[in-house]
Amino acid sequence: MDLLRDLLDKQVVDRNQVKIGKVDGVVAELRPGRPPRVLAIELGSITLARRLGARPGRWMAWLAKTLGGKRHAEPHHIGWNKVRDVGVDIDVDIDVRRTAIFDWQDWLRDHVIGRIPGA
Amino acid sequence: MKKLIEISLGIVTSVGGFLEVGSMATAAQAGATFGFQLIWAILLGTICIIFLVEMAGRFAAVSHHTIIDAIRERFGFNAFLWPLLATLLVNFLVMSAEIGGVAIAAEFATGIGFQWWALPVAFLTWLLLWKGTFGFIEKGVAILGLVTLCFVVAAVMLKPDWEAVAAGAIPSLPGHDAANYWFMAVSILGASISPYLFTFYSSGAIEDKWDKTYLGANRAIAGLGMTFGGTISVGVLIVAALVLGAHGINQVEDYHQLPLMLIPVFGFWGFVLFVASLAIACFGAALEIGLQQAYLVAQGFGWTWGEDLKPRQDPAFCGVYTLSLLLAAIPITLGLDPLKLTIFSMALTAASLPLTVVPFLFLLNDERYVGEHRNGVISNAAVIFIIALGFVLAVVSIPLQIFGGS
Repeated sequence: MDLLRDLLDKQVVDRNQVKIGKVDGVVAELRPGRPPRVLAIELGSITLARRLGARPGRWMAWLAKTLGGKRHAEPHHIGWNKVRDVGVDIDVDIDVRRTAIFDWQDWLRDHVIGRIPGA
Repeated sequence: MKKLIEISLGIVTSVGGFLEVGSMATAAQAGATFGFQLIWAILLGTICIIFLVEMAGRFAAVSHHTIIDAIRERFGFNAFLWPLLATLLVNFLVMSAEIGGVAIAAEFATGIGFQWWALPVAFLTWLLLWKGTFGFIEKGVAILGLVTLCFVVAAVMLKPDWEAVAAGAIPSLPGHDAANYWFMAVSILGASISPYLFTFYSSGAIEDKWDKTYLGANRAIAGLGMTFGGTISVGVLIVAALVLGAHGINQVEDYHQLPLMLIPVFGFWGFVLFVASLAIACFGAALEIGLQQAYLVAQGFGWTWGEDLKPRQDPAFCGVYTLSLLLAAIPITLGLDPLKLTIFSMALTAASLPLTVVPFLFLLNDERYVGEHRNGVISNAAVIFIIALGFVLAVVSIPLQIFGGS
C-alpha cells in the first residue's frame, strides 16, 4: 500500500457508516533497516494546520486547546488496529459518539442548529 | 420508461442550473451593445460546460466520489486549499448576485427598493434548504424554471434575420469598443462555464445514488440539458439585440432597462414573464449555490453531508449554508448594485476556472477512480482546450475588467 496515495486524505467512516472526517495525517514508526509501520491515523484541524507549516500548527493547537480544553490539545488518533477496510472510504471500528471528534459539531447542534425550529 | 422520465427531469433540472442571473445579464448586455455578434461566446461556453458536466457525472457514477472529494483525496490538503478558497469566494459573490437578481425582480413587482428584499430572499432560500429534500429542490427549481422558455418564444416571434444570427455563431472582431467586446465575451464564458454547475452536478449524482447504469442518462442530461440552457441564453441575447437596440439602449447599465425586453412581444404579460423568469432563475441558482457551499466544505473536510438528512444529523453542513446565505445577503442589503456585482463575479468566475478544471485532466484519466470509463481522446482534448481557455481568461479578465468593464 502506498500510504500517501491510498490512505492520506481519504474519507473515514465509523462503525455506523457516519462520515467522521478525512485521514488528515498518518502516524508511522520508522524502524532502522525495516519498512516503517503505521501506528495510527490522525484527524482534526491541528493535523491539517501542521501540514501547512509549523507556525499554523502551533496556532491551531493553541486555538483548539483554548476553545475545546485539554481533550482537544492534541489531534484525534485512531489506532491502526481499528481500521477494518481501505476502499472508497476508510472503515474504522469505532463509534464517533464515544470520541471527542464530533464535540464541536455536538456543540453546534445543541447551541445553534438544534434551537432553530424544524431542526 | 423510468429512465426516460429521469432523463427528461435531469434535462429540465440542468436548464434550471444553467440559466441564472449571470447568463441573463451578460446575454442581455451583449445583445444590446453588439447585436448578434457575441452568440459564439454562448455557444463556446455551452460546449465547454457540456463536456465538464458529462465528466463530473461520469466520475461520480463510476467512482462514487464527488469532484471536490476527489480533488482533496488525489492532490492532498495543501493543494486542495486553493480551489477550495477560490470557489468559496467566487460562489459567495455569485450567490450575492443571485440574491440581488431575485431582489430586483421583487422591486419590479412591488416598487419597494431591492435592498429591502435581500434578507427576506436569503431567508426564504434558507427555509427551503432547511426543510426541503434534495429531490424537492431539484424538481421544484426545474419545473418552475420552464418559464424562462418565454425568451426563446419571444426570440422566434420577433422574426430575427436568421442568417445574421448564424453569422454571430462564428467569432468575429468587433467594429467598436474592442475592450468592452472582449470583456463581454469573458463574462459570457464565465457565466456559462460556472464551477458551481459541475461540482453541484457531481454532488447531485451522489445524492441521487447514481452508479454505472446511469452513464447513458448522464450523457443525455449533460448534452441536452446544457444545450437547452444555452438556447435560452441565445434567446435572451436575440431579444435584447432586437428590442433594446431598437429602443436606442446600446448599453445596459441598470437592471431597470431590462423588463422592457419582452413587452413588444407579450405586452403587459411580457413584464410579468420577465419578472417571473428573473426571480425564478436567480432563486433556483441561489438554492443550488447555497447547497454547493455546504457540499464544498463538508466534502473537503469529510463531515456528514446530505440535503435529505435532518439538520440535527448534519449540523455543520447546515451551519455552512446558513452562514453563507446570511453573508451573501449583506452586500445587497448595503445597496451594492446587483448588475455590477453580477458582471464582476462572472469575470472572476472565469479567472478561477484553471483551479477547478485542471484537476479534471488528472481525475478523469486515473484508472483507480474511473477504471475503463476514463476519458477518450475527444474528452481529453476538450479538457486541455478548456484549461488553456481558462488560463487565457484568468490572465485577461482583470485587465479587461479595468479597461472594458464600465
